[in-house]
Amino acid sequence: MIPDHPQERRLLIAEYVLGLHQGERVQEIERWLALDAEAARLAQHWREAWTGAAELLPEERLPPHLWRRVARQAGLAQPWWRAGWASASLWRTVSAALLVAVVLLAGPLRAPAPVYTVVLQAPGEAANPGWRVTVSDNGDLRLTPLVEGQYASDRSVQFWTLENNAPGPRSLGLVQPGRTLVIPASQVGGVESGQLFELTLEPQGGSPKDRPTGPVLFIGRAVEI
Amino acid sequence: MDDGQQDLEHGNTLLMASAGGDRGAFHRLYLREAPRLLALARRFTGDSGAAEDAVQETFVQAWSNADRFHSERGSARAWLHGILRLRLLSQYRGARHQRHDDLPGDDWPDPGPSPEQCSLDERRDRALRLCLRGLRGERRRPILMAFYLGYTYEQIAEHLAVPLGTIKSRIRSGLKGLEECLRL
Repeated sequence: MIPDHPQERRLLIAEYVLGLHQGERVQEIERWLALDAEAARLAQHWREAWTGAAELLPEERLPPHLWRRVARQAGLAQPWWRAGWASASLWRTVSAALLVAVVLLAGPLRAPAPVYTVVLQAPGEAANPGWRVTVSDNGDLRLTPLVEGQYASDRSVQFWTLENNAPGPRSLGLVQPGRTLVIPASQVGGVESGQLFELTLEPQGGSPKDRPTGPVLFIGRAVEI
Repeated sequence: MDDGQQDLEHGNTLLMASAGGDRGAFHRLYLREAPRLLALARRFTGDSGAAEDAVQETFVQAWSNADRFHSERGSARAWLHGILRLRLLSQYRGARHQRHDDLPGDDWPDPGPSPEQCSLDERRDRALRLCLRGLRGERRRPILMAFYLGYTYEQIAEHLAVPLGTIKSRIRSGLKGLEECLRL
């Protein structure tokens, strides 16, 4: 029974949002909130307030497999034959073949086992891999050079990723040609199959804009291992 | 508009874009909100696997029902927290039967004899943290046990070895104090 006294009604809402009621009592309160706009507004104010208590907890590091599970169950992880990108099958085939070649050349991959790999190749030169990207199970990304590269001293090589359906690429930082770069998961974010990675040649210090401005040196898409 | 408010507004924008089928926006929303939700779920369930399951279900449901979100009624953050909390309460209520002595805010000192300070912060989430500090420990602790662990009145009374009537009285006094402090 919903009380008549205003203060009792307000307390009941506070208790309900905190989760102190159960079963049929909860259903009764929710029926009331559906009919009483003022009561529903107060409940919403409490919900907004309690998000602040969640912020007293330290943030958890997201395990990479969690996004994959969400994407799979929500139907976001499209099979490659339905992906909108016209050359997905080509990327996949070429990347897989190059991965085999790279593993054979470089030896077995060490733990932690990578869950994604990308072979970055010069545009239009599918048999000419330049860099290898591996994303380990803990989400850290390793960018490893496969070729020596030399560029003008007034230029920088910048690493980018384009998340599936994102409006534009996101910078992952500058790269020293010929040197391995490790980027922590917190900077990488979640990686999905088909996600684009590329290296571009930019003015010294990196692109002056929040997108690539120079030519693409190497490009490839993520393949789940 | 301050940074915190812009942060909430951006979350709303991402969720509304998700309702339109923008998977990139949904992924960015996940990266922003999931770390805190996962922390909350882990504290609530005391189990990493259960916490991940709860967060997974929350985001799957959010993607399916994103078109039901209305920013004029509240923030995307509170909407997501609401989905998670319903799931936690229905499946894992009171799952942690041990260790309720490490709750955030449980070790704050009592506010002393001065009148409880009302928060002037327009953001209710920030204000709540200040208002919780203004509660005496005997009122704050059972409220934190309800929020972080999903305990009922009866479970709180049992764990604190305090009569049920006393616990109800303390929680209600605490909630009334929070309501006044938050100016709800």
